[in-house]
Amino acid sequence: MIPVIPIKPTAATPPIDIQTLVQPDRVHKRVYTDPAIFELEMDRVFGQAWLYVGHESQVPNVGDYFTTRLGREPVVMVRHTDGAVNVLYNRCPHKGAKIVPDGSGSAGKFLRCLYHGWTFKCDGSLLSVPLRSGYEDTGLDLKDPQYGVRNVARVATHRGFVFASLSKEGPELKEFLGGVATSLDNFCDRAPEGEVEVAGGVQRVIQRNNWKIFFENLHDTIHAVATHESSWRAAKEEFEAMPSGTPKPFEVVIVDGNGEPLEFWENLELKGYDHGHGFMEGIFVPPTDPVSLAYVAALEASQGAQRANEILRVNRHNTIVYPSCSPHTSFQQIRVIRPLSVDRTLVEIFSFRLKGAPEATFQRTLKYTNIVNSPSSNVMPDDLEAYNRVQEGLGSDGGDWVSMHRAIGRDQPLPGGRASNGNSEMPARNMFGAWARYMGVDTGSAA
Amino acid sequence: MNFLDWNEQQEITQFLHHEARLLDEHRWDEWQRLFTPDGLYWVPLVHGQADHLNHASLFCEDALLRSMRARRLEQARAYSQQPPTRTVHVVGNIGIEAREEGENGGLTVRSTFVLLEWRKTEQRMFGGSVLHTLRRHEGELRIHLKRVELVNCDAAHEALQVFV
Repeated sequence: MIPVIPIKPTAATPPIDIQTLVQPDRVHKRVYTDPAIFELEMDRVFGQAWLYVGHESQVPNVGDYFTTRLGREPVVMVRHTDGAVNVLYNRCPHKGAKIVPDGSGSAGKFLRCLYHGWTFKCDGSLLSVPLRSGYEDTGLDLKDPQYGVRNVARVATHRGFVFASLSKEGPELKEFLGGVATSLDNFCDRAPEGEVEVAGGVQRVIQRNNWKIFFENLHDTIHAVATHESSWRAAKEEFEAMPSGTPKPFEVVIVDGNGEPLEFWENLELKGYDHGHGFMEGIFVPPTDPVSLAYVAALEASQGAQRANEILRVNRHNTIVYPSCSPHTSFQQIRVIRPLSVDRTLVEIFSFRLKGAPEATFQRTLKYTNIVNSPSSNVMPDDLEAYNRVQEGLGSDGGDWVSMHRAIGRDQPLPGGRASNGNSEMPARNMFGAWARYMGVDTGSAA
Repeated sequence: MNFLDWNEQQEITQFLHHEARLLDEHRWDEWQRLFTPDGLYWVPLVHGQADHLNHASLFCEDALLRSMRARRLEQARAYSQQPPTRTVHVVGNIGIEAREEGENGGLTVRSTFVLLEWRKTEQRMFGGSVLHTLRRHEGELRIHLKRVELVNCDAAHEALQVFV
C-alpha cells in the first residue's frame, strides 16, 4: 500500500503591521519578500514619487512615442503638436486596449486605437469616434474628458529628463530632486553644447530579486572586493600578462577597480538626500588617454578652460534618484529600475551622446555599458547571483532582520540631507527613511 | 552560393562543429586560438544592427575581452559559475554567404544554431544564425569575425555568461 503523504497546511500570512518592519538600523525581511507589501509599494511609493519616464530626445518629432511602466501602470510618453511631451496612460477609454504597442515609434499626428478606431490627439483629448450618431441621447457624452486618454497626474522635466508622478499631491520636481539635481545638471553640462540625447540602443536585464536590493547595492561599497573577485582578478591577470610599461587599457580600468581595498572605499564620500536620493563620489580618476583628452579639449573650446574644469571636477559614480533610476554622469548612462513583482526586477540601460563631443567619446560610453551594464557583462553576473541568493535566503526562517547598522550615528548633516564615509550604510538607511514615509510609517528618525 | 567542392564543405562543416564542441566543453583557450589576432566576437543587440562601435551590443569582444571573460569563468570565486553553465550547440544549415577576393581565400559562412543552456534551476533556449568571416592563417582556417544574430537579441535577458 502506498503511504499517503500528508499535506502540511500553509500557515496563514500574518497581517502586516508595517510600523514594526522598518527600524532606524534594521528592516524586517518581509519588506523584500511579501507580495502584499509589494502591492502596497506600488500604491504608496510608486503611486506618489516622481518617477523617471525617459528623455525628450527619445520623442524628437510630433507623434513620436515611447512606452514604459510607472509602478503597475503602462504609460506612453508622446510628443504633441504644440511641442509638449505628454505622459498618458496607455489605455483606450473605450474598451481598455493599450493604444500603442510596447516600444517606441511614431504614431503620426494622432493616436488611433487598433480595436475600434477611436482617435485621440497627442495630449489625450478625443478627436473622433466611428458611428458618432450612435452615442446621441445616450449617457456617454463624448465631450466628457473621461473619454479622452487619461494623462498621468503630473509631468515635469529637468534639463530634458522627463519625470511623472501618478499623484496630484506632493513636492514639485525640483524640490523632490533636491541635491541630486546637480547630477542631472552635470550629466548635461559635460556636453560641449550643454545637451545630451539618447542613442545607441537600450540593454535590458532581468534580475531575480526585489527592486530595493538593487538600489541598496548601488551605494554598497564593501561588496565590490568580495562579490566581484572573479572579474577584478581576471582583469588584473590580464594586465599582468601584458608587456611591462603597457598603459592600463580602459577595459581593464573599469573592471579591476572593484579590487580596491576597503580603505579606498572608506575614503569616498557618500551623500544622501531627502526622498531617498544620493550619490557616490567618483571611483575612477579622470583618464588621460587620447580619447579623454580630445573630449576635454572639445569641452574647453566650448566652455572655456575654467568652466570646463569646474564641470569635470564634479566626478561621481552612481547617483540614485529614488525609486526609479540611477544616472552615471561620467559615462553617460541611466539605468532605469522597474519592479515587476516582489522578486523580479527589470533594469533598462540607456546610453546618451554628449552633443558636440567627439564621436570617440560616445563609443567609449558604449564600451562602458557593454562591459559593465550589458546582460553579458563580466562584472554583473556575480551581482545578480548575490542579489538572488539574498532573495532566496530572505525567504527562509533562518532569521527575520536585515542589518543596516554600519557607521550609524556618524553622518554629517548637509542642507537637505547627510554625508558619510564610503563604507557607511547611510544610503540604505536614507532610502528606508524615504520608503517608510511613503508607506506611512513613523520611524522617529530621519535616517 | 555553393561550396566549391566536397572538400571545402567538409572542412568548413568540421570547423564549425569543432568550434561548437570547444564551447560546450569549456575549452576556452582552444576556442580563443580559433580567432585571428584582430578577430571580433560580436552579438548585436538589435536585428540588422549596422555596426558595433556606435550602438550597444550584447557581446562585442576583441582578444582582450574574450580572454578576460574566459579567465573570469575559471576563477575559484566566480560565484555566478557555482554551478557552471552547461551548454549544447546544435549547428546546421551551413552555407557560403560571400567570398572575399585575395590570396587568403577569405569567405563568409552562414549557419544556424540552437543552444540549450542549463544552470541552477532553469534550462534556457537560444537560437539564431551565425556569420563567420573566415580567413586562412598559416594554412589554417581562422575566425576574423563571428557575428551571432540571436532570434531574441532585443529581449530582456538574465545574465549571459558564456560565449554563445
